[in-house]
Amino acid sequence: MAQTNTATVALDSGAESKLAGHFRRNRIVYILASILLGIGLAYRIYLNTMAFSVGTDFYSPEFQKYWMPVLYGEVLFLGLFTVCTSVYVWLTRERDASAISPELELSRYWKLLSFLTVIGIWVAAIATNAVESDAAWHQVTIRDTDFTPTHIFIFYFALPALTAFLIPTFIWAHTRIPAFMNKISIPFLCVVLGIFMIMPNYGFNEWGHTFFYAEELFAAPVHWGFVFLGWSLFFLVPLGVQIFTNMGRLIAQTTATESTASTEERQVI
Amino acid sequence: MSEQSVSTELMSENEVRQRRLDVKSLDNPKAMKLYRRFDGIFILVLFSFLALGVQIQFTLTAGDWDYWIDWRDRRWWPVVAPMTLLMFIGPLAYGLWYRLRLPVVATAVTTLLCLTSWLSRYLNFYEFTYFPMSFVPASTYIGLGILLDCSLIMTRSLIISCIIGGGLFGALVWPLNWPIFAASKVPVEFNGMLLSMADLMGFQYIRTTTPEYLRIIEESTLRTFGGSVTPLTAVFAGLVGIVVYALFLLLGKWINGLDKYAKRIA
Repeated sequence: MAQTNTATVALDSGAESKLAGHFRRNRIVYILASILLGIGLAYRIYLNTMAFSVGTDFYSPEFQKYWMPVLYGEVLFLGLFTVCTSVYVWLTRERDASAISPELELSRYWKLLSFLTVIGIWVAAIATNAVESDAAWHQVTIRDTDFTPTHIFIFYFALPALTAFLIPTFIWAHTRIPAFMNKISIPFLCVVLGIFMIMPNYGFNEWGHTFFYAEELFAAPVHWGFVFLGWSLFFLVPLGVQIFTNMGRLIAQTTATESTASTEERQVI
Repeated sequence: MSEQSVSTELMSENEVRQRRLDVKSLDNPKAMKLYRRFDGIFILVLFSFLALGVQIQFTLTAGDWDYWIDWRDRRWWPVVAPMTLLMFIGPLAYGLWYRLRLPVVATAVTTLLCLTSWLSRYLNFYEFTYFPMSFVPASTYIGLGILLDCSLIMTRSLIISCIIGGGLFGALVWPLNWPIFAASKVPVEFNGMLLSMADLMGFQYIRTTTPEYLRIIEESTLRTFGGSVTPLTAVFAGLVGIVVYALFLLLGKWINGLDKYAKRIA
């Protein structure tokens, strides 16, 4: 499938308005971001409505009825989504890097940036909605198990979803873009791996809370593992440098060689 | 022989051609349009991720001091808050200054923290768990970020900006935030005890961290310095700011050296 893409770089030359052209080029971002924000908003409303009414006691039948199915469902969905998307992206990988024209390569960089923009919108939603909801929750309720409503929201949905988007994006970039093919970008790997490793760190967090630290001082050392792994975002700068070094080369090259068709019209999003 | 021609000799023919294309593209409106589009997307993506990064960093190392009005003490909060922020700013400041000569990270990070904190306090502390907003206002560090970035712009040196900017960043937390929470420090009498308004609010809203608060805050012999606790803390926080910022600039240097590709994951 990817093979056919190499030969077909769309050259849209319709007389669309500027605004329509903008929406057409960025439709991946608008559609995916709207879906994600819709899911996030629905989940947030569910959390606000059901957390304190039926979510304060893990051993109550209400909790088992209203919260555990959510947990099982989201874990199953995100697991399947990650595996299926990653396998699909891998199976449809580009096999011959030399067959990729500079125009197509540049269009794939724009597509990569589109994916990262969608992920960035999800990330901003986590920052404002999710992280401190757990902090606020733990100040007014006593912890009884790992499966509190806010944990089900953050630990088993919001952050795993971030990983579920990043892993296929990482594989996509390394199987479609010549500069990343047949090798591994260390900064990209560190960003993905650091965020992924936040999930195994739940283990230490919960073990610590059951063993030696029952309280919820948020700045307590038992939470510092999350911080350390959050530092993987420092690698965004070298990753950005890798991306725009290659994009700068391609932009200079493609705009210098083209004569009539505008570069903007060559973008395949 | 000029410096430019020496460096040209050291480059391969392809590199020279690419360099010429790059320079030429700066005069090409189509290329400039694409460069600007890239800038816009990159800033959006980078800032979104930084918002989450600084939120995780700050909330899990200094969050408790920032959530509650009664935790803004004179001794811990002015040290912990700038220290943890500089830990996050350092590596990014090194990368963006060294690679792109952009002295904006401190201002960007502190502004993002302010935005996400206010949104989060409203959504999570007020709407979700019903704490009054006057009990959980976010602090501001934007002025400190501007100072740090200005020191870098004016000196064009990471080391000097570390000493001047890092020191000011640590020392000025309390005066910068004083207008926000001065009213909460008004003394009140409650059942024959002298309390601040913030303490009184804290005892009305008992939280699971209240025991930790009582253990950590306002104890030890530093209280015997009387009214000079705050300026003493500011000077110490300045020192901590310089040291921590320097260490994390070094971390940034190491991280930015990893701008490489590997053949396989070892």
